[in-house]
Amino acid sequence: MTNPSDNYSFKGPGLYLHIPFCRHICPYCDFSVTVGSSVAITQFTKCIVREIELQRIPRKFDTLYFGGGTPSALPISKLSHIVESLDANGWLANDRWMQLEANPEDVTKEVLAGWRSVGIRSLSLGVQSLRNDSLDFLGRRHSAEDGCKSVVAAKAAGFKSVSLDLIYGLPGQDADMWREELTAAAKLGVDHISCYQLTIHDETPFGHRRLRGDRIVATDKMQSVLFRVTHETLAELGYDAYEVSNFARAPEHRSRHNLKYWDHTQYLGLGPSAHSFDGRTRWWNEWRLSAWQEAIHNSRLPVMSAECLDDQALILEVLMLGFRTVEGVDFSAMKRRFGIDLLRKNSELVEKLEAESLVVLDGNHVRPTMNGLAVADSLAASFKIEVC
Amino acid sequence: MSLIQIRNFCIIAHIDHGKSTLADRLIQRCGAVADREFRDQILDSMELERERGITIKSNTVTLSYQAEDGQDYQLNLIDTPGHVDFSHEVRRSLMSCEGALILVDASQGVEAQTVANLYLAMEYDLALIPVINKIDLPAADVERVREEIDADLGLDPFQAIPVSAKLGEGIDKLLEAVVKELPAPVGDAEAPLSALIFDAQYDPYRGVVVLCRIVEGNISAGQVVRLMHTGKEYEVEEVGLLKLKRVKTAELTAGAVGYVIANIKAVRDITIGDTITAADCPVTEPLPGYKEAKPVVFSSMYPMSTDDYDDLMKALDKLALNDPALTYEKDSSVALGFGFRCGFLGLLHLDVIQERLEREYGLSLLLSAPSVRYRITLEGGEKIEIDNPSEFPDSSDIVQSLEPYIKASIMMPEKYLGVVMELCRERRGEKITFHYLAVGRVELHSDMPLAEVLFDFYDRLKTVTQGYGSFDYELLDYRESKLVKVDILVNAERVDALSQLVNETKARQRALHYCERLADTIPKQQFKIAIQGAIGGQIIARKTINAYRKDVIAKCYGGDITRKRKLLEKQKEGKKRMKMVGSVEIPQAAFVAVLKSDDKSKR
Repeated sequence: MTNPSDNYSFKGPGLYLHIPFCRHICPYCDFSVTVGSSVAITQFTKCIVREIELQRIPRKFDTLYFGGGTPSALPISKLSHIVESLDANGWLANDRWMQLEANPEDVTKEVLAGWRSVGIRSLSLGVQSLRNDSLDFLGRRHSAEDGCKSVVAAKAAGFKSVSLDLIYGLPGQDADMWREELTAAAKLGVDHISCYQLTIHDETPFGHRRLRGDRIVATDKMQSVLFRVTHETLAELGYDAYEVSNFARAPEHRSRHNLKYWDHTQYLGLGPSAHSFDGRTRWWNEWRLSAWQEAIHNSRLPVMSAECLDDQALILEVLMLGFRTVEGVDFSAMKRRFGIDLLRKNSELVEKLEAESLVVLDGNHVRPTMNGLAVADSLAASFKIEVC
Repeated sequence: MSLIQIRNFCIIAHIDHGKSTLADRLIQRCGAVADREFRDQILDSMELERERGITIKSNTVTLSYQAEDGQDYQLNLIDTPGHVDFSHEVRRSLMSCEGALILVDASQGVEAQTVANLYLAMEYDLALIPVINKIDLPAADVERVREEIDADLGLDPFQAIPVSAKLGEGIDKLLEAVVKELPAPVGDAEAPLSALIFDAQYDPYRGVVVLCRIVEGNISAGQVVRLMHTGKEYEVEEVGLLKLKRVKTAELTAGAVGYVIANIKAVRDITIGDTITAADCPVTEPLPGYKEAKPVVFSSMYPMSTDDYDDLMKALDKLALNDPALTYEKDSSVALGFGFRCGFLGLLHLDVIQERLEREYGLSLLLSAPSVRYRITLEGGEKIEIDNPSEFPDSSDIVQSLEPYIKASIMMPEKYLGVVMELCRERRGEKITFHYLAVGRVELHSDMPLAEVLFDFYDRLKTVTQGYGSFDYELLDYRESKLVKVDILVNAERVDALSQLVNETKARQRALHYCERLADTIPKQQFKIAIQGAIGGQIIARKTINAYRKDVIAKCYGGDITRKRKLLEKQKEGKKRMKMVGSVEIPQAAFVAVLKSDDKSKR
């Protein structure tokens, strides 16, 4: 149906680089992050180049994603040094899609030009909110105005795709407030919008506040309302949902790299805490920057742990990831891959899900509706997948 | 030791006023236990008791105390449980005493249970010493509490002894008061033996250890004794005192409290409240003892996992050894598989047994709605007794059905009389009468169906009287009642474990309550769930659980898919532990919730 056509799909393996530095750590963040000095950043760059050399990867990557932390905390010189090393090792395809996450306060005309020269095609701006009170609550260091300016500047700099991230589900947020924000974001003319529901992890300042009884997120009911508002408003504004939290103005603006996570394409992650997957095994790097660095200093791959997925686990992932996307789950492909007809095994369930307007059955393809996307996890969990 | 050097007493108090702590301090002060062996709440031996801070089984300890007059005294402290389900234990404990310490919290003052227990103690003519505890608290107001002791309890306020059980303050003075103000027991050591059994323990090596109060005569090893209720005879192997550990003595004489070991195999073989007498020279009349603790509440217990059935059986066997009031027999349910139909003294007893099974035996259980035992006369004259809704005959076959009634006694401050009478009427109370106990205090009597009391009555009473109402009951008789069987249907499938027998007039209300509870506790699923209450084919209540609309969907980027999958696997695993009724998953919590009271703050 909406299968991306070949001119903008990248089928090869993807490469992720985790840049763990932030100038300031947000109270909701549970990623591997640290406030880094310039010495630490230099140190880190050396290590990541060394990590590249430690790998023996015969394949070429056609997507490269700088995530974090704050990749925009990395000076252009360091960024370019990393890309050069990748090229020197022959890792990158000629037609490569490079995407970078940036904080609005880091965005200047010079920096934007620098990123363009390194080959970044898509910029993802951590705007998070277009309201100053929300930004304050989220502990962000930029203003709504900074956010808007960064988008305008990025558009002017000529990136192929400019995306912004928004967080919703804040305490006190209502449908009208959120609709207004979404409309404002669309007005900026961005190509892609990611809307994440505020998620509280225990070991974060927000997690601690929640334990003390503070209300950190909107009520369950409001979350559900806001989810619908997100999808309905963005659809009206011309942004198609292609995943629970991701919306693109046109198919070519979908995040080529992130799509790979959702369809089990292979990916390699470098940097602390980065995850990798080769189709059967998933492994992940040392979480702490110091442990990751120490391994590399000892010329050892900084892998903390790994798991080999059996068919059952793979199937659960295919369902879990598939139902997050509008593409849904292709059960013929599943049958080819695992040799079992899960659709037949779950025919009664699918019938009921369809009756409840949670999915649409299209041949052997089960696609979630908007209501289905809202309960994607439970959809996946409801399927019988025992491989007998 | 002569009688005048013995004091038998107990401590009675409102919950949380520090009874166990005071007991600890008395034990420590009398050196019954070395300081290094000491642990808090030493008499509360079960894990459950320590944790909940309630005393379930009575414990008894004999303390040696040298008073200021230079004499050595033997102080028998009998610990008492504090809940209505265990009132038989309280009563038999009180019967073994001549005196009681009435404990009042210095900051909270006289509370409902203090008063209720006081009346119980007065019934047995016990001498009373008021004790004001927790005087170390910043909020302590000893003078105000003295006034309350005068006004509410009618006791001499100047007799009250202020103590801090926590810090050990005032304990010496208290012990002196026990010696000086509580009467010594009376009894003739030369008379024929009569001893009251007030408790029993089970020792895997020695069999049953009977705890008793010697009223007349004496008992020693080698003697052949007869239990008057059962008529069985045993040869006494050992007698002694309970000083936290058993301490063997040559004999126990009139007035003493101690233990008797007589090769009795199971706790079931004895009856608490029975009288021990000598086989060769028996007394003619048994002591006024207690009615057998008969189970009056019935519920079926099912293991969450059918593999645990054997373990549940073994665990029940063991618990019943120590708890003669617990009965059980095999049972089965379509939804829940094999289990046991168990009989209990009351809802707290049920709760305690369930928790002990879960905690001490590691079992995970489901319990059906509690029921009383009904008497039914069938067409053709056959009479049956049933407590299990699954055995309820077709209504057209029933000529007459009877349900057990109780005489409820409720004591409360006068101002709650109106609301309590209303509550009793609501619960089909009949012949509601009341009289004044003292100025401002009223005792209400009402005949009520026991089934109405099982269902949430005690909590409601506590709520409407703000904690000042105390409740006790005795079984009265069986009375006619038009019974119906209410079934609970989940998406049109009957959940047999939730069926229940109720009086026709209460059917709708009860069905609605169950539907509401289930609707609150069954998590939303992808489909709409209809929960219905029905009598036969007629739907009398209905609730709907709407399909849920939103998962919490966390980010799934940066490739950490493993963590997310593991969460989902957990979710799937959790589903396995739920009971499937048709296509609906019902968590254990839902079954538990329908049994619980209305008071949502309780859990």
